Amino acid sequence: MSNRTLRLAGAILGAAAILSCAPAMAEDIVLGASVQLTGPVANTGRYYRDAYQFTIDKINEAGGIKVGDKQYKLALKLYDNQSDVNLSVRQYTQLVSQDKVNLLLGPFASNFALADSAVSEKYQIPMVQGGGASDQIFSRKFKYIFGTLAPASNYFGSTVSMMKELDPKPKSVALLYADDAFDVSVAEGTRPLLKDAGFTIALDERYTSNASDFNSLLSQIKNANVDVVLVAGHETEILNFVRQAKSLSVAPKFYSFTVGVPSEDFRKALDKDANYAFGMTAWLPSAKLKDKWFGDAETFAKEYKAKFGYDPDYHAASGAADVEALAQALENAGTLDPKAVRDAIAKLNFDSLYGTIAFGENGQIDLAQTVIQIQDDKLVAVYDAKGFVEKPKYPMPAWNAR
Amino acid sequence: MDLLAQILINGILLGGLYAVMALGLALVWGVLNIVNLAHGAFIMLGGYLSWHLYTYLGIDPFLGLPITAVVMFGLGYCLQRGVLNLIVRAPMFNTLLITFGLEVVLTYLAQMAFSADFRTINPSYAGSNIALGPVVIPMARLMAFGVAVVLTVGMWLFLLHSRLGRAIRATAQNLVAARLYGVEPRHLYAMTFGIGIGLAGAAGGLYGTVSQIDPYIGATLTAKSFAIAIIGGLDNPLGVLVGGLVLGIIESLTVLYIGATFGDVASFGVLVLVLIVRPSGLLGKTA
Repeated sequence: MSNRTLRLAGAILGAAAILSCAPAMAEDIVLGASVQLTGPVANTGRYYRDAYQFTIDKINEAGGIKVGDKQYKLALKLYDNQSDVNLSVRQYTQLVSQDKVNLLLGPFASNFALADSAVSEKYQIPMVQGGGASDQIFSRKFKYIFGTLAPASNYFGSTVSMMKELDPKPKSVALLYADDAFDVSVAEGTRPLLKDAGFTIALDERYTSNASDFNSLLSQIKNANVDVVLVAGHETEILNFVRQAKSLSVAPKFYSFTVGVPSEDFRKALDKDANYAFGMTAWLPSAKLKDKWFGDAETFAKEYKAKFGYDPDYHAASGAADVEALAQALENAGTLDPKAVRDAIAKLNFDSLYGTIAFGENGQIDLAQTVIQIQDDKLVAVYDAKGFVEKPKYPMPAWNAR
Repeated sequence: MDLLAQILINGILLGGLYAVMALGLALVWGVLNIVNLAHGAFIMLGGYLSWHLYTYLGIDPFLGLPITAVVMFGLGYCLQRGVLNLIVRAPMFNTLLITFGLEVVLTYLAQMAFSADFRTINPSYAGSNIALGPVVIPMARLMAFGVAVVLTVGMWLFLLHSRLGRAIRATAQNLVAARLYGVEPRHLYAMTFGIGIGLAGAAGGLYGTVSQIDPYIGATLTAKSFAIAIIGGLDNPLGVLVGGLVLGIIESLTVLYIGATFGDVASFGVLVLVLIVRPSGLLGKTA
């Protein structure tokens, strides 16, 4: 290597060292997270990346947060876990042991949060995550994990309540679910709800995550002639399910899906075929949800769309709420000590764009799910805790009668 | 009984799609001795190409298939001449590494270019079907099946009767003898790889019509194509069609009788069984 290249290399290394130090300046509180930016669930992972950064910027614009009598700015240290659970566990370990971040934000999806929460527990750094809803995450008596998604076991709760009030009342139900932590929790929670409400479960099938062929299951659904189909799965599976249902002329009176329906991407991919699909969301961008930093949820949604070019759904709102929960808890605690912040998180009770943030004994929030339906290409809220909001389009017409 | 008939139809139609996906992989593997781990990624690219043709130029996905196949053929030809040719004499391990690398690069380029959003090719007839009494035949799948049969038989005739096809077979059997007869291997290898990738591209267009495309579908499709190629055997396109049909039917029946989580167990179980009983594939020459 010549002298010149050596000097050049030295200069580059020096510059890199200065650059890498820049974000970790003394007065920043660093929040660490590992999110799916690439890989099969990158599609949902981006909500968290964007919501985290957006909320942190917003809080900093307002002057940051006051802890004790010192003013701090927030900073984000984000890794891409490539949709790989093992990598995400390694990255969280790195965040707490090497990067020495102050507090943790979560990844997307239950199986990730389930594994990653072991890291926050071990190092006693609180993690507020808005991507994992499975009851398993919160049933281990962990003290450092908090969740802002409503419990998976109750995802279909409001849907089942609504089904009881439909006319004609449906009788038989097919329950399909993918074989991962979240969807298994959904199924386990839904079964007793259905039984208590007097529905017969005609078909109860678990399928492989990322399955692309639903023709056999759909043929069985058609054969059993069920009234209602409830599917707990991932967006790609739901898309396949709906398209293949159409191509096999399978039209139950009612079908509902745990994911997909609230997101713009889903409606775009299916176009007219997305109509009549039911789903649920614990969040809608309503002006009634007041927020300290954003004003209200409607403004949040508007600014988010303007900045990122797509509509936020409950994942994004939940991610924003996580940052706010940490910020609020830091201010309440008045110290950066992770244990004190943890206790402050457990005691939180404040209104946000996402709803009232208050965690139960197990660390999970309890929010009611609003039943939504796609009607004439638009997302409509049809049923919430207080009863019907809009008239649901029910029963679903046959595919050739639309 | 109706249910069984319906499930069998589903399996056969699924098998046809599987066969097109595996056709190119089997050809490249059989002739160039390259297990192309990027095969699924090429299917994905073909899917995106068809999607763009359909969405922006309004070209029907089935009419667009030849365009997709030709473009992908060109890409395959250049990749072989420029990249894969470097390792054509190298041990198998190098070919696995380089195609794996291609897989990763193509996948990430696709996410940068197309984002991770799901894309569907959704022409008006995609959801329509033909009802035969109680049994329903989905239109798009039936058309995909038709394309699969045409491509497979076409490939078979091409390899059997055309000059290029004979040269390809000769090279696969004995490179030295083929060269003595005037076959120029560099061009021929690139042609073969190009045809393989062209077939993958066509499969991608079909896949986008019956399912949806995102940058990450490649790996699973490679695995599935790999299993089909082994089950069917490498020396005959008709074998690949049989392999695809066997796999499609077995998967559908498994979902019906055993459970929806066991589809993959069944298909890879069959793969192991075939390797034990007939190592050169169902239609391959017996060892």
